[in-house]
Order: sequence, then structure tokens, then C-alpha cells
Amino acid sequence: MRIGEMKSSFDEFWGEFRKVKSGMIGLVFLGLFLMILFFEPLLLPFEQANSRWKDITYWEDNPASAAPQWTNFFSSKKSAVSMPLEVEKKEVKNAGTIRIIEETFLYDYQYDAAPSDIIFRASGQANPTVIISVERPDGKKIDLLRKPLEVTQGKDLRIAIDKTSLNEAYNFLKSMDAATGLSKQTLKTTDILFSKVEDSIVFTPQALKGEYKIMVSLILQKETDVIESTEMKVAGRVHGILGTDNSKRDIWSGVIAGVKWAMLIGLLTALVSVSIGVIYGVISAYVGGWKDSLMQRIFEIFISVPMLPVLIVMSAVFKPNIWMIILIMCVFYWVGPVKTVRSMGLQIKEETYIEASRALGASNTRIIFKHMVPLLIPYAFASMALNVPGAIVVEATLSLLGLGDPNIVTWGQILQDAHNGGAMLSGMWWWVVPPGMAIAFMGMTFAFVGFAMDKILNPKLKTR
Amino acid sequence: MFWKYMLKRVFYGIFIYIILIFVFSALFNTVMEQTLRGQIDEEIRAELMALDNVGSQQIQNFIEMRRAEKFALYKLDKPIFERIVWRTWSTLTLNLGKSSSIRSAAGDRNVWAIVSEKIPRTLILFSSAMLIDIIIGIWLGLKKAQKAGGVLDKSTSVGTMVVFGMPSWWLGMILIMFFAYTIKVFPSGGLHATPPPEGIAFFLDALYHLALPVMTLVVIGFWGRAFLTRNIVLGVLQDDYIMAARARGIPERKVLYGHTMRTSAPPIVTMSLLALLASVSGNIVFEGIFNWPGMGNLFWFALQQNDVPVLMGNLAITTGLYICGLILLDLVYGLLDPRIKVGAKA
Repeated sequence: MRIGEMKSSFDEFWGEFRKVKSGMIGLVFLGLFLMILFFEPLLLPFEQANSRWKDITYWEDNPASAAPQWTNFFSSKKSAVSMPLEVEKKEVKNAGTIRIIEETFLYDYQYDAAPSDIIFRASGQANPTVIISVERPDGKKIDLLRKPLEVTQGKDLRIAIDKTSLNEAYNFLKSMDAATGLSKQTLKTTDILFSKVEDSIVFTPQALKGEYKIMVSLILQKETDVIESTEMKVAGRVHGILGTDNSKRDIWSGVIAGVKWAMLIGLLTALVSVSIGVIYGVISAYVGGWKDSLMQRIFEIFISVPMLPVLIVMSAVFKPNIWMIILIMCVFYWVGPVKTVRSMGLQIKEETYIEASRALGASNTRIIFKHMVPLLIPYAFASMALNVPGAIVVEATLSLLGLGDPNIVTWGQILQDAHNGGAMLSGMWWWVVPPGMAIAFMGMTFAFVGFAMDKILNPKLKTR
Repeated sequence: MFWKYMLKRVFYGIFIYIILIFVFSALFNTVMEQTLRGQIDEEIRAELMALDNVGSQQIQNFIEMRRAEKFALYKLDKPIFERIVWRTWSTLTLNLGKSSSIRSAAGDRNVWAIVSEKIPRTLILFSSAMLIDIIIGIWLGLKKAQKAGGVLDKSTSVGTMVVFGMPSWWLGMILIMFFAYTIKVFPSGGLHATPPPEGIAFFLDALYHLALPVMTLVVIGFWGRAFLTRNIVLGVLQDDYIMAARARGIPERKVLYGHTMRTSAPPIVTMSLLALLASVSGNIVFEGIFNWPGMGNLFWFALQQNDVPVLMGNLAITTGLYICGLILLDLVYGLLDPRIKVGAKA
């Protein structure tokens, strides 16, 4: 087959493919996935999601087990969303050798449920005394923290108000005569900070909406002390596009980061295994005789293996990485197209031009790869497309059992964490639905494309 | 002729099984032996505790003596090839050894006892799901083929593609979340309520626990089956003799259910049996999610406990069942389809 012939047969194929609506929808979805792949850095709210997925310190400023932000839209009780706070003003005062950095952050609180935490971060090299206080819209001021702390290179200053300031918040309640008969263990700092001061503050807190001013002063004693950057973040009750899991990881980031692994696993496995299977089938058909019989017997041994249990036992014993998993899957998947390809090969073999080229002295390799394999390429593409979802599901299944590659983020691993973290029990649907939807959606994409190709290539499937 | 074909097929199946068990034994030899060595050391330590008033030299002697005895018992003193052959042989004779931690309901640590307890449960779950699945699938497939390209055909084909890459265990997770925790109409998993009720209620309770997993499997399963049935039937409908039958004025219903079904039956039966086989060996995670105490759940459990003898035994039996199924399939196919010249070279 020449290049020109190939092009014209491709054009013919494309002409038919365009008419199949589901195939075109599949291509659009595939394009969508490729776009996600390409623009991944822009789509990830947490840039290091890939490399630090298992690193809990990377995610510690997020709320744990928070629902997606947009759920507020459907709920009558609006929850605080996660966001960074703006600096209203920043001042540096000098008093002799002592420097005081004063920053005021503004938080416009217009929700019904208080945020789960407020976090202050600073980096640099210093031993500052940190003073944090908050001024509420009702004019009441609460001192939250006054403590000498240490910042070094590589170890940021991180203050989580919710945990460190419970005492102060409790004392504030007491000074307002609203804490009668309460135990400190049952209180939550942020609930106190963002609610109206009433006797019912603990059990049915009423949100105090308005502008909150959070003031931070850092007192630096030494000339050499440096504070480089400061930031204040609100960890909401709802978070991001798809919420967070119980170890505060952003699920949207995980799902996006998982796209490339699913694509890699599915496409590579399908490409390698179908190529091997097609070539094996063609050779088996072409050589014939006892060689064909032997090749068929080897093939039968491979199809007699129940794939998933073997794969699981092997992964459990050898703890492979992702490349090994792909390789092992190829070992089981190559048998898929062999039978069909062999029967197709037997037909092609009888064509006159094969005989002609043999008479002209063409080598077997040449006949197989030049004349027979190209005719099977359309079929190969269709079965590749249909093999992709299977490979993705198998990897997800291995991951769900905890046998995946721990160095990457796959949808299966997110689901494993969800299963282990009791997401089903606690109704955290945003942790279970998106990764599975992603698997199903990618499977659907390739199924649309594969079925459409199959429909065109398989004349028996044409409707009357 | 059929008997000869049958015998040949069975012998070939046994041959493949032996090869596979040999390969598994070779692959897992090192890991199995590590586990075994640890187990032996532990047993000897336990025996030492029982002894008292012995000198350190005697202890040393005792350990070495017992270790040599046990090594001889498990053939650990023999060369590696012999050990692999021995392990292959003991697996083939269903001498699967003892688990390292898992016990059967009766407290037995014999792997065979543990596995044989689980097999019926797996079969009940998957065969009942498959039965419903096949009935719906074939019925829908026929309807689709009858009016190929029609509204029903097109819409259900889209359904087929939508569930094509959907993991059944994920749908299971979603349905458990909804039916067991949100609206609380089904149990979240397991075989029985605790404590299991008695008498007729026992069976009703088991059915009640069976409902959700079976429902999940059916919801995922029948689409693909309908699509395949449609394609097979459609292929047959384009054959010349159907045209001839139609031309003779035979009613459409009779053409479909009489002529077409007779030719379509073998591939449809094959497909259904093959799906049953694949599901029995493939739904490890599914049983884990539903906490259904069958073979798959045992795999899951053995993985978490790192119980290699159970893994190996479960694998050997699963493979055995799978190959038996494949043989059965070939035989059924030979019986159903007169066009297959049984015994002749394919």
C-alpha cells in the first residue's frame, strides 16, 4: 500500500465516520480530555498536586471533608468559602532596634456558617513576637494570640486560629457572660468569632455578618530578623470546585492530575497489546501448518488465565510501579484481537496480489508488514479504542485494593482513599462521584469512538 | 466423533492447567518460602516456650534439629527446581496447605476448607445477577435488532456506550451510599443480618442482602449483552435463507423466533457463559465493596493480611474453575451448532 492509497482510504473512512453522530461526540470529548492534558498547569489550583499528593503538609491550610463551593447555591444556609484575605494596610514602625510590622486583613463575612479555620503564614528568618486580634462588625475586639515564635528558612510560621485561640475565645465568651455552664471542649473558636453574642451562641449560633478586621503585629527584636511574606487564609466550610477529602486534599486537583495517568495507562496498554496481538494473528495466519498450531496453543494458554486475580496476586507480591503494571496488563491484553485478526488474515492470504508478490520473490516479512498488516490497521484502531476503558478500569481496580503506584495520583487511588476514609458512610459524595465519573466518562469517550469505527468497518452491523 | 473431540478438549484443558500452576508456583516460590520460613521459626519458638530447664547448648541443638525436620517436611532443603515441581504437585492434588492467618467459619486453617466455604456464595451472587442480566439483555437485543436504527435501538446503544467504561464497583459504591445510608432501604453489605434470623426468615434475609449487589450488576451488565445480541441477530437476519423465508411469506415473528434464534443461539450462549466466567473471576473488588463473603472478598482479605497460601490457593481454584468453564463452553458450542465439524481441524 502506498502513501497515496492510504490517504485516499483514510479520506473515505473519515467521510463515513463524520456521519456517525456518536463517533463525533466521542471525538469532541477526546479533544476535551486532550485540552485538559495540555492546560493542566492552568487548571490546577494547587500547582504541586502531582508531586505532593501524599504530602499532608502541602494541603494543611484547606478544610477537611468540605463539600464543593457551589453546593451553597442549593442550600438555604450558606457556608463560608475558602479564600485568601486581602491586606488592607501594611505598616512598619521603628522603635529603636525594635521593628514592628503591622498588617490588617479584611474579611467580608456574609455567610450563615462560620469558616472552619483562619490561618496566618509567614516565612523568613526571625524570632518575632506575634500578636493577633480581631475586630468584629459589632465593635467588639478579641485578642487571639500573643506569643514569641520562631521562623526559620524552610520552616514557615503557621498559626491556625481555630486551634491556638480557643482559650481566648472562651474567655471572651465569659467576659460577655455568655459561657455559663459550658465546657471548653465543646466549643469551636471560629463559631464564637463569627456569631452574635447571645446565650444561644453555642447551640444555635446566629451569624454576625459584616466586615471583620484581623490585625497582626510582628515584633522583631534583632536587626538581622527578616520576615519575607505574610498571608492570611480562610479555610471555609465549603471548598473549591469539588471539595476536599478527609486529609484536606483538593479533589478537583486530584481528578485533573489523574487525567494524564488514565490516558497514559489506557492508550499505552491498548497500543502495545493490540499491536502485538494483530502482528501475532497475522503471522499465525500467514505461516500456517504446525507453526500456526503451536502459536494457537500458546494463545490458548494465555486466554485460559483469569486476568484480574492473577494481576492482583502478582501486584500484591511484587509491588510494581505504573510501568510494570502497564507491562503486566499488556501480557494479558494482547490476546484480545488475535482470533479475529487470524481469521481476517486467512482471507487476505488467499488474495491474488499476495500470491503475485510471493511469486516475485518478496520476503515473508515484507508480505506480512507491507501487504497484510496495513489492511488490518482500521480494525486495529477500533479495537485499540475499545480496549482503552478496560485498561483504565483494571488500573483503578488495582489502586482500589491499594496496589497502585504510590508515586502518582490516579482516579482509582482517590477512590481507594474514599473507600478507606468512609466516604460512603458519611455521605461525602463529592469524594466518590467525581473520580468514578471521570473513569466512566473517559470510558464512554473511547467507547463512542470505538463503536463508531466498528460500525463502519463491520459490514454485518449495517442497519437494513 | 463428539466423544473424541470432548476427550481431546478435556485433556488439553488439564494440560494448560498444569502449565499455569507450574508458572504460578515458580513466580510465587520465593515469596511463599519467605512466609514459610517465618512460620517455621515461629512454630519452633512456640515449642521452645513449652520446654523448660534446658541449657543454651541444648536449645541450639533443639532449634537446629527441629528446623532441619521442618525444612525436610516442606522440602526447603531440596534444590529450587524440585521445590517448584513439588509445590506444583501439591497444588494440583488440592493440597493447598495452611493459611497464615485467615480461618474458615469453623476455625479451620486449611486453605481448601476456607475456599470451598466461599465458592457457593460467589456463585449465588453472580449467577443470579447474570440470569436476570441475560434475560433482559437478550430480550432487549432482539427488540433492538427487529427495528435496527430505530429510536429504541439508538437510545439503548448510547446506554451501552455510557456504561462501557464504568466500573461496577464504583456504581456499587454510589448505590450503597444512596440506598443504604441516605434513604436506608437496603443493607450496606454482608450476607446476613447479625445475628442471622432462623427458618424462612433466614432465606428472606439473604435475599434482602442479595438485592442491592445483584441490582448493581444487572444495571451495569445488560446493556452490553443487549448490544452484542443485537449484532449477532442482525448478522443472521442478513443471511440469504432469512430473505428466502421472508419471500416465502413466513410471518415475521416466526422468522425471528424460529429461524433467526436457532442460528443465533450458539454465539449468544457462548457470550453469556463467557461473561459469567469473567465475572466470577473478575469481581474481586465488587465483593469487597459489598462485603459479600465470597471468593473475591477472600482475595481482598488475603491481600490485606498478606496471606500468601490463601492467595495462591484461591488463585489455583479460580483458574481451575475458569478453565473448566472454558472447556464446558467449547463442548456446549459443539453440541449446539451442527455447523461446527466436531473433531475436525478448525
